Amino acid sequence: MKNAVWPNLFRGWNRAESDTVYTLRQVPVFKGFTNREFNELEKLVHHRNYSLDDFVFKNRAPGEGMYIIMNGEIKITIGTRTGDENVLANLKKGDFFGELALFDDEPRSANAIAIEDSHLIGFFTADLISLQERNPEMANKILFNLGGMLGERLRSTNRLLIEAQKGSDSNEESAD
Amino acid sequence: MKNQQTDYFQLIYRLLLGVVGTIFIWFIWPFVSNVILMLVFAFLFTTVLLSSVDNLERKIHSRGISVLLITLGVLAGIGIFIGSFISQLSAQATEFSSRVDPTTLTSEFKALGERFMDAIPGFASGMVSSGGDFASTLTKFINTVIDNLASLASAVGSFVLNVAMILIFTIILLAEYHGFRKTLVGYVSNKYFEVGLRLIFNIEKSVSSYLRGQFLSAASVALMSVIGLIILNLAGANLTLIVFIGIIAGLANLIPLIGPFVGMIPAIMIAFMNNLGNEQAVAHMLFGVLPSPFFIFDIILMFILVQQIEGNLITPTLVGKSVGLHPMLVMIALIIGGTILGPLGMLFAVPATGVLKVIFQEIAFVRRNAHLL
Repeated sequence: MKNAVWPNLFRGWNRAESDTVYTLRQVPVFKGFTNREFNELEKLVHHRNYSLDDFVFKNRAPGEGMYIIMNGEIKITIGTRTGDENVLANLKKGDFFGELALFDDEPRSANAIAIEDSHLIGFFTADLISLQERNPEMANKILFNLGGMLGERLRSTNRLLIEAQKGSDSNEESAD
Repeated sequence: MKNQQTDYFQLIYRLLLGVVGTIFIWFIWPFVSNVILMLVFAFLFTTVLLSSVDNLERKIHSRGISVLLITLGVLAGIGIFIGSFISQLSAQATEFSSRVDPTTLTSEFKALGERFMDAIPGFASGMVSSGGDFASTLTKFINTVIDNLASLASAVGSFVLNVAMILIFTIILLAEYHGFRKTLVGYVSNKYFEVGLRLIFNIEKSVSSYLRGQFLSAASVALMSVIGLIILNLAGANLTLIVFIGIIAGLANLIPLIGPFVGMIPAIMIAFMNNLGNEQAVAHMLFGVLPSPFFIFDIILMFILVQQIEGNLITPTLVGKSVGLHPMLVMIALIIGGTILGPLGMLFAVPATGVLKVIFQEIAFVRRNAHLL
């Protein structure tokens, strides 16, 4: 018969990674975090549940931070649901949104609506400031990652802009 | 029509809930007020120590050990301060008692009383009670103190218990602060979640900047008092323990109005003890006009000057700015706080007004953005 004392005594020592940490690992904002840092982050983030059709936030609402989808699906839209709604993206498990609010005081630029019962992880400006006080290394990694992501987005926007300009130039030439 | 009926039902329901809640608080308040006060103190101490604990945690990567080290450090600091103050004061008292015998002391008091009565202008001498001399007044005072010793002992016991409870609450709050905040925010509905988070963050910011302002103001009083006492020593006041007197004056300054007087007492006592029998000090005249035996009025004037500089220049600039309150509002808050809860109310008046201001600002913010939530 197997002795239950030892497994009980060392219960939790080799515990599997929690679902929260597993989800956070997929987010590029937390790239380069050590296991210990992920455990720290897990203590800091907030868990929220949203039912179908619940707003996570509305367009022009003051923004306080970012959300990571742990379960469920969220659509990012502009316009209203009465007719002129324009869906910009459907986000699934592991995706994140609203990260710009960590940087600035600008209001939200789109709606975020749950299209099924969803479980989200929230990480907010207040948490980032608290992290800067307690663990600036972690906060710096987040800020560097966010900066890198924004740089990448800017580059891709520039590429699109150049392609669009080239397209319009060639159209003008063919018209001539 | 149906909506209107629902509104009336909601209004009656809310009114009833409000009345039941008020009655409940009315009955339960005497039993919980002490604990709530302890929690408020613990919260204030937590706010003061939080950044130190966070900084240490950053270095040693252990919250528990950081809390333990900071708490022990603060307790050791307070212990060393009180211990060395008491030992130096008792050394001073021993030296004083070896220097002066009771009969000399009584005759000194008598001579001092007579000299004082002779020196003050005729119109003012009528204002001084002629019920007895200084020595008999002192004896009466000592007898009253001995009579009240039993109630003093019970008050000390209750004080020690309260301090121990506040210490325990502070340690728990420091260790679990970020978890507590997260749990508190967890109860807020999705609609108001981000606003709730923002409100808590702004309240924390307001309280911690107020406390920082208060401590800067206390430190400035301590420093100015030490400088003032050094200047008085240069004029021959023969004061000792000036650093301790300065620190006590700075700490006492945290309680508005009463504090400054508390700060003067040790300085006057030491001036008296050090200069007893010193004819030059007994005959000292302030600006060569007002008799100031043992430099007592010099000390009082110096503390009044320090208080004026602190009250009119430093506090309105540091404290008023730190909570973003107009100096006029700070004064009104102090008066209201003092009327409701006495000195304790004055201690909490400004941070409480700061917190209320943040809450009202956030309510206004929510009302402005209600359609977006």
